[in-house]
Parts: sequence; structure tokens; C-alpha cells
Amino acid sequence: MTNVEQQQTADDIIIIKDLNKWYGDFHVLKDINLNVKKSERIVICGPSGSGKSTMIRCINRLEEFQRGSLIVDGVEMVEDVKNIEAIRREVGMVFQHFNLFPHLTILENLTLGQIWVQKKPKAEAEAVAMKYLERVKIPDQAKKYPGQLSGGQQQRVAIARSLCMAPKVMLFDEPTSALDPEMIKEVLDVMVELADEEGMTMLCVTHEMGFAKKVADRVIFMDAGEIVEENTPHEFFDNPQVDRTQKFLEQILDH
Amino acid sequence: MSNTFKSDPIEFKPTAALPAPKSTVGPIAWVRENLFPSISNTLITLFIVFILISLIPGVIDWMFISANWSGTNQEACVSDGACWVFVKAWSQQFFYGSYPTDQLWRVNLSLILLFAVIILSFTLPASFRLRVSIPLFLVLPFVCIAILDGRLVGLDFVNTDLWGGFSLNVLMAAAAIIVAFPFSFLWALGRRSNMPLARSISVIFIEFFRGVPVLALFFMGSVMLPLFFAEGTQVDKLVRVWIVLIFFMSGYMAEVFRGGFQAIPSGQYEAADSVGLSYWQKTLLIILPQVIKVSMPNILATFVMLFKNTVFLLIIGIPEVLQLLLTALSNSNWLGGHAVEGYVFVGVIFWVCCFSMSLLSNKIERDLDTDKRD
Repeated sequence: MTNVEQQQTADDIIIIKDLNKWYGDFHVLKDINLNVKKSERIVICGPSGSGKSTMIRCINRLEEFQRGSLIVDGVEMVEDVKNIEAIRREVGMVFQHFNLFPHLTILENLTLGQIWVQKKPKAEAEAVAMKYLERVKIPDQAKKYPGQLSGGQQQRVAIARSLCMAPKVMLFDEPTSALDPEMIKEVLDVMVELADEEGMTMLCVTHEMGFAKKVADRVIFMDAGEIVEENTPHEFFDNPQVDRTQKFLEQILDH
Repeated sequence: MSNTFKSDPIEFKPTAALPAPKSTVGPIAWVRENLFPSISNTLITLFIVFILISLIPGVIDWMFISANWSGTNQEACVSDGACWVFVKAWSQQFFYGSYPTDQLWRVNLSLILLFAVIILSFTLPASFRLRVSIPLFLVLPFVCIAILDGRLVGLDFVNTDLWGGFSLNVLMAAAAIIVAFPFSFLWALGRRSNMPLARSISVIFIEFFRGVPVLALFFMGSVMLPLFFAEGTQVDKLVRVWIVLIFFMSGYMAEVFRGGFQAIPSGQYEAADSVGLSYWQKTLLIILPQVIKVSMPNILATFVMLFKNTVFLLIIGIPEVLQLLLTALSNSNWLGGHAVEGYVFVGVIFWVCCFSMSLLSNKIERDLDTDKRD
């Protein structure tokens, strides 16, 4: 079913093996196997409720799983708080609803993790924060509060907040789904730049197929808790192998 | 004018201008809209106006016009109005209890310190406001106790039996809420915790202090609590009551905080986790400030309740303001029936304090509201 050869190499930064998760009796993730190489850009799509968000949320343990194993940058995800914290240091996450801290200014949002987790001095943290705010093209908003920014700006701040922690992997959980159409592009532009210039390892749950074609090394299609198909974007869109993929593509591309 | 469409060009005819709308601004419009919008509302308005007209002049006359203001004893009260002389003669007692007259500055100093810390916590620059005002608040009760007691700071010792009056109500309530604050936060965290032991201890504690009437708690504090102390140790009555007030208050505030915790979207926890913050960093830096913001109106309501509940201390013989009023009313020199003046006076000073706190809490809410700040 999978066209891309899966074998573990030293390059793999994320190794997911036979991952299973249940919500009560509901089997959300069924035997997920996925290896991600360094600097690889993966787009995950699928109908709602297919478990794609749940899967990437397992990677930094916003969700627990019941069976299987998950290794991020050589650290195995186990109950131990030390391992969880070590993995979270390497993994940044961008959420559908931005989740900026509303009581802190943009600058404080960006420096908080650096100061308290990485123990950087304040001045250094602010310099890093400004660097990334410039990268996402909103350095002039540093003193404002999240509530005063547009959705697109907030999401760019959220991306900058993650980048400030110098993660090795970035997870995007439907980063443009909550945005007005005219703001989607500014966020996608930042993400494309991130992929091109930084060589960041990215896992992105999204329905932006244009973004997938442009950036992704691999597209993964999930349905009912399983990885149904994975392929290069070119093959995935032009020559889908599985019925369910074809149906899904028809539904989202047909207008 | 015809209703059917014709193919030839339609002649432009402006419709007649509408009459100007009734004025919707200004006092007259307001009165018409709010007081006399319909027949039934008009009747209600007239009825209320009638009651006010028949009551207010009498009250004003009694309170101000025919009231007795000057003099030092009961004989000065000759007219039918209120005998404010009674309140005036007892004012020191009402405010300070039996605290020695030459040492009253110590009570005033404590009150001034309290207000200074409150004002400071609003006026300091936001960048280090919390870092300065939280420690100040936490040491404040103990500084006040040291000043009032005197022994630790080299002043004359004033026994707690002599402390009293309205200043005691204020200081007791403030000292209780300040110490209760961190406790209630811990209880609320405990109640939300996944650890069964922490959760059951918190639930039992909170429900006990919320479920038992405050009067019963005061009796327990004054009668039962000493039984738990080691043989021979004497714990001051006021300290025991303070402990009771702290527990009582923290039980209520824990529930206020719990409501606040539930109002914080799960995305905030997730974002804090994904940034890599530890449990306590997440709780103190991200969640707590937002919890305080959404809980502010309820925190204040709880505090007002506690403040007013301090008058119940009279039940166990603490000379707070209402207890002193009862003493004054039964004084043989003042047996003229001044109860109304006394209760009006106590009511007014409590109302002024509680209303000021409402205003203060509105200001805090506005300050904390970062969503609409420009």
C-alpha cells in the first residue's frame, strides 16, 4: 500500500511504530507506522475524524497512546517526565486556534519559553524574538497584545513563538483552518519560506493542497485511524492508488 | 400612480419625506422611553414616585435637618431628629475598640500600610508590579500584627483583648483574605488534580468549610480549636479566629478559582506544554493570571461577604464594631434608644467600604482586559 520505502536509517528524526490509541472503546489510531527523515516535509490530510490531528499530537504528547512506540530524535516517548520534556524541547507546535497567551504581549509570548525553559537572559531572548518576528514580517506588533492582532498575524506570531525555541521538528495542526480566506496566504507564505530556507522538519495537517504540491516531500492520507496511502505529491494527486483517496480528492478538489 | 409596470421611461417622483423620528436622545426622550413607555409602566412609575416622595423628605429631615450634631452627652439630643452625638461620643470606640488612646497611631499606621500596598499594586509599572506587590501583600498581615502587638518592634505591648472596632473588622478581613489567597489556589489545584489523595483532601476541606455556617466555625475556633493544641500552649483568641477566617475564605475562594480554571481553554494548557513549560511554570505563568482575570468579580464578591461576616465575631465576644455598638447601646448614660443611629452608622461605613471595593474591582477588570486594549 505504501510506495515510499520505509526503512529505519540514522536520518530518521521521528520513528513511529505500531502506534495505537483508544478514546475509551473508540479506536482512534490503528497501527500507525511512520518514519520521518530530517528536513523532510510531510503533509497529512484526510477527512475529519480520521485521526490525523491526534497522530501529530501524540508526537509531543498532547495525547497519550496506549500501544506502540514513538521515538523523537533518539528519545523514546515514555511516562518519564524527563523524556517528555526532552522531546517537547525538540518539537514546536502550531495550533488551529493559535493559542497565544492573551495576557502577555507578543514579545512576552515569544520570550517566555526562552527565559523559563532555556534559561536565556532576557535581552538575548528578546533579540531572538525580534529576529523571528522580523522573519514572519510583524516586528512592529511586538508591544501589542494577541487580541489586537488579526488571525493571520496571530498565527504568524504562533509560528515565531515555536521557532524561538529552536525546535528540530515543527508540527502544524490545521494552521489555516480557522483563518479568513485572505489571511491564509500570509501564513502559508511563512511556512513555505520556513521549509525552503531553514530546512525544517515539518509535519503539517492541512487541506491546503496547493501548499502540499509546492512544499511536501510526502503526502499522507489518513482515514478512520489508518494511514491509507502515502506518496510523493505528484503521484498522490495525479495517480491516487486507493479508492478512498480518490473519493477524498474528488471532494476537496472538485470546485 | 399606477401599480403596473410600463415600458416607457418611469418618471422620477420622490416619495414624501417621512416625519422626523421622535427624539431618541436627551433627558426627555430618556424619560419617555424608560419611565412612561406604556400605561402599565406609567402607573408603576407614578406609584414609585409617590412612595419616594412620601419617604425621602422624612428620612432627610431625620438624618440631617432636625438631627443633633453638637454636644457630648445624651442631654444634647433635644430635637426629634437623629442623635449623631451618640455616634460622635462613641466614635473612638467604634473605630479602635479599647486600644490605648496614645497608641492609636499604630492602628492608623496599619490601615495606611494596607491602603498604601493596595494603591501601590495599581500604580506600579506593569513590568514589575506583580514581583513587588505580591511579596508586599504577603508580609503585610504580619507587619500589621507586629505593629499592633508591639513586642517585636520595641513598642509598648498591647494585648489583643484591647484591639477592636471597625479597624479590627478591616484588618481581620484583609489579613484573612491575603493568607487565604495562596491556600485557596492550592485547594483548587488539588481538586482538579489527577492524584486521588490530593483530590480527596481538597474536596473534604473545601466542602467542610463551605458547608458549615460561619457562626458554627467561629464557635469551633474559639471553643474546639484549643483542644487540638498541645497541652499548655495558649493560642490567642484572635489568632484562632484568624485561622478560622482563613480556612473559611480559602474554601470559598477555591471554588471561585476552580470556576476560573474551567473557563481557561484547553489550548492554553496545550500551548504551554508544547513550549516546554513545567507544570508549575505553566500553572503560575500562563494559567493563574488568566484565572485571576476571569475570577475577579467573584473574588471580590467573596471578599465582601467575608468582610461583612466579620461582624459575626461579636458572637464569640470579639470587640468588633457591632459588638461595641451593642455595648454603647446598653450604656447607662445613653439609654435613650439610639439603636437606629447606631445601625445606620455601621451600615453606612460598611456600605462605603464595599462600594469602594466594587469600584476598585471594576478598575482591575478593565486593567486586565487585554483583549480590547489599544
